[in-house]
Amino acid sequence: MIELADVQLTLPSAAGAVHILRGLDLRVGAGELVSVLGPSGSGKSSMMMIIAGLERATAGRVAVAGQDFADMDEDDLAQFRRETLGIVFQDFHLVPTMTAVENVAIPLELSGRADAEARAAESLEAVGLGHRLSHYPGQLSGGEQQRAALARALAGQPKLILADEPTGNLDGDTGAQVIDLLFKLCAERGSTLVLITHDINLARRCARSVRLRDGLVLDDTANGALAARVAE
Amino acid sequence: MTNGASGSGWALAFRLARRELRGGLRGFGVFLACLALGVAAIAAVGTLSTGVLESLRDDGRRILGGDLDLRLVHRAAEPRQLEWLAERAEVSLATDMRAMARAADTESRRILVELRGIDDLYPLYGSVGLYPEQDLGDAIAKRNGLWGAAAEPALLRRLDLQVGDRIRIGDLNYEVRAELRFEPDRAAKVISFGPHIVVSGDSLADTGLVQPGSLIHYHYRLRLPPGTAVEAVRNDINETFPDAGWRVRGPDQAAPGVTRFVERLTLYLTVVGLTALLVGGMGVANAVTSFLEGRIGTIATLKCLGAPGVLIFRTYMAQIMILAGIGVGLGLVLGAAAPQAAAGLLSEMLGWQVSLGVNAQALLTAAAFGLLTAFAFSLWPLSRARQVPGANLFRDVVAPFPAISPRAVPGTMAAIIVAGLVLAGLAIATATDRWLGLYFVLGAIATLGLFRLTGAAIVALARRAPRPKATGLRLALANLHRPGAPTGSVVASLGLGLTVLVAIALVEANLGRQVRDEMPVNAPAFYFIDIQPDQIEDFTALVGANPGMQELKRVPMLRGRIAAINGTPSAELQIPPDIAWVFRGDRGLTWSAQPPEDAKIVEGQWWPPDYKGAPLVSLDAGVGRHMGIGPGDRMTINILGRDIEVEIANLRVIDWSGLGMNFVMVFSPGLLESAPQTYIATVRAEASAEDAIERAVTDRFANVTAIRVKEVLAMVTELLGHIAIALRAAGSIALVAGILVLAGAVAASRRRRIYDAVVLKVLGARRALVARAFMAEYGLLGAVTAIIAAVMGSLTGYLILTEVMNLPFVFLPLPVLATALGGVAITMAFGFAGTWRALGQKAAPLLRNK
Repeated sequence: MIELADVQLTLPSAAGAVHILRGLDLRVGAGELVSVLGPSGSGKSSMMMIIAGLERATAGRVAVAGQDFADMDEDDLAQFRRETLGIVFQDFHLVPTMTAVENVAIPLELSGRADAEARAAESLEAVGLGHRLSHYPGQLSGGEQQRAALARALAGQPKLILADEPTGNLDGDTGAQVIDLLFKLCAERGSTLVLITHDINLARRCARSVRLRDGLVLDDTANGALAARVAE
Repeated sequence: MTNGASGSGWALAFRLARRELRGGLRGFGVFLACLALGVAAIAAVGTLSTGVLESLRDDGRRILGGDLDLRLVHRAAEPRQLEWLAERAEVSLATDMRAMARAADTESRRILVELRGIDDLYPLYGSVGLYPEQDLGDAIAKRNGLWGAAAEPALLRRLDLQVGDRIRIGDLNYEVRAELRFEPDRAAKVISFGPHIVVSGDSLADTGLVQPGSLIHYHYRLRLPPGTAVEAVRNDINETFPDAGWRVRGPDQAAPGVTRFVERLTLYLTVVGLTALLVGGMGVANAVTSFLEGRIGTIATLKCLGAPGVLIFRTYMAQIMILAGIGVGLGLVLGAAAPQAAAGLLSEMLGWQVSLGVNAQALLTAAAFGLLTAFAFSLWPLSRARQVPGANLFRDVVAPFPAISPRAVPGTMAAIIVAGLVLAGLAIATATDRWLGLYFVLGAIATLGLFRLTGAAIVALARRAPRPKATGLRLALANLHRPGAPTGSVVASLGLGLTVLVAIALVEANLGRQVRDEMPVNAPAFYFIDIQPDQIEDFTALVGANPGMQELKRVPMLRGRIAAINGTPSAELQIPPDIAWVFRGDRGLTWSAQPPEDAKIVEGQWWPPDYKGAPLVSLDAGVGRHMGIGPGDRMTINILGRDIEVEIANLRVIDWSGLGMNFVMVFSPGLLESAPQTYIATVRAEASAEDAIERAVTDRFANVTAIRVKEVLAMVTELLGHIAIALRAAGSIALVAGILVLAGAVAASRRRRIYDAVVLKVLGARRALVARAFMAEYGLLGAVTAIIAAVMGSLTGYLILTEVMNLPFVFLPLPVLATALGGVAITMAFGFAGTWRALGQKAAPLLRNK
């Protein structure tokens, strides 16, 4: 599903070039659940942006769902995102002037689906927000907002879900409920999940964990070995 | 299931836009106000102007006083002409002249009046308003040996008379039987030298005013049988009586002076409205940028969800145009309603009922201007919005609004240029004077460009300037060039508004100077007109006997019109607008053996003092130059219905500003000496002697009319004052638009300023220091803007005066300085008001949130 080969990302700055990714390699198979760990500045978000086609790698090969990004322009990448990808953010990023169902319908509408609102309503039902369809984000709790964002990410039945600290702004119980829902829906739909987190317990729930440091993969381990390495 | 429709089409863009608009109009105050103001100004001007001109057209017959008006000067129509006319139409005669009126007692003051003698048919159309209400014929009829009169209330007030009292005009006493409240055909007369009084035409002979050569206008008004083609009758009249010498006007030319004035004023006010819209356009650009900056998160979210850049562009373009529609709608409502409020006042001023309905064309034009402006000025920020990266959502930092992508620059620029060209085309196409419209467009582009460059130069200079030691000044300089600083917007928006005001101030001051300062120095105290040849010596002796008399000049005068030049009839000549007045009707003529005092002959020679040959004429050099004629060329002049061919002997430069007696054409002696004529005299006298001279002359010569130059100048000054108020009010619209944009630009940077102020205070800066820094920043901006505006405004004022008004230009520093200083004060006041709150902010809450 994901193939990153010797990916580099260098951004210019007033103080000189900043090397964010320094030759990162990662392969993720279809249906895999992968967590990404690492301290701030290790390159987690940059890697996610590159996988989402939101940032162009300075060097290296990026291919997702069989599509090589090198051959794609911005519009191709936008099409790729609406057809292949669902993203869940730490800050939810729901559009405040749209109701829950309208927020969830956006990617479907972007795909030109005539049944966008009906599908969006189904998706909200699936995350337990069937009774909040016409509520605006400001009228929803943090947990509900994140569930709506989850419904939006999954509404188009994407092959790949990218989740960036999805529980970062939620309290423990609410966060757990959202994560349970995320794993359940990914499993049901066979979606691949790449999950950025600082929470080691949450990382453990994925079959595989990748640790980044200074723009490189520090280690890439199966779930069982992770706890031991962290303990070290 | 997909419907196959594109996920970036306009339908989806409008759907998303509609949802986004639920956020309300917050932050769009300046945007809406700028558009509404500009559109309202243009719509109001269009509605007013069209309304006035249409009313004039619709009511043309009434304003003209008939289906056709045949005007003769000096002499009445011949019986055969009247017979011919009477066979085809009902003919009414109104006889107009200027005269002196006074109360019946000899001590009463004398007032110059516009006297009208009418017949039983007057008015052919409409009705005269009298108070107390009564039949006009009865009011002016002869009763008990006394003719009646209806006089304007102003005349009765000035002579301290009541209805029922007697008023003396010429040799005749009239009984004032009514106040003259309304005349249906008053608007046809552009300038009134005094209050109006209406009497029976049959009474005029007894006044002694009707003398050979007296300046009397005979208006023969025709009422044609229903269904008669006015144009056909007009042609018939011209063909039957080609040498009659009358001026024939139809309802389409009922009040050409008013038409010209309205057209000129419309052009000016439209230009001001467009300037307001142009200034507002910058407010639109600022507001759109500010709005989109607030939408970075939403745009990034849409990008992450797969929205292509084109959809982002369309979604926000749709929103902006919907909002622009609201602003334009507001402007149209205001622009349609405001003239209704002014209709009553206008009707009173113009003397006829001005009906101002909703004018679809004026509103559509204004709407087109508004929408095009919003479109053109939104394109750049909207193209920048396309570049907002979805990646922003993964970053914790507050991402700035991105610059436009280099790839998008050519396309965006092309779209802006096309929109700008359409705007310019519309401005030129709808202008009453296309050339002036074009000059405005070019001038506006140049001025706008200059202010944009100035803004950029200030930023560049502030960045490179050495760091001043004073902390306040250092901060001020830094504020001028930091990212997101409103420097460019403030300079451009305020600059354009100030330029307009400086230009208006200069035009106003120059007009005022012309009237007040220049003319009166050499101006005579009186013009005495209609002095009969057999009175002139007595008149001279009488005036000369007054010890206060300083100078008396007299010349014979008769009237005639230019019928042809070198055999080409005037109607077929290409006459430049600047000298059209010379050909428009009868002009005063004189003859002289000697050249006039101070005459400057620039081509040809003056005739010898004892010249007795074929008639020669000395022509105004300006007319000669404009028409491309000079010594040796021939002119045909129609005098009292007779065509006389003369040869141009010389061209002479005339200084019209002295208010002395000047004539476009001065003839050689001989031919005109025998024609019926009167004398015209100017008298300069000590102020204390003026009343006595006027009284002596009008007592002795009842037919002689005295025109007090001071009173005429006062009237002109008053008229100019009214026009100046209207111009200033209109010019203020551009400044208000500028201030709105300024306020918007300051407001947009307020958050940043609050943060700056808080940080500075945390670091130990006193409020006074922060305040000084803000004041220095805006003072500097205002000063530079005011200097450029002073230069551009002076240039604009110069062009308006010399090219449009054909008046000399004198640079008057005081109004320019006052306007420029006002501009600096406004900038500082708004800049400071916008940042005052920043100074009072508590540090803790803000820092916690950061």
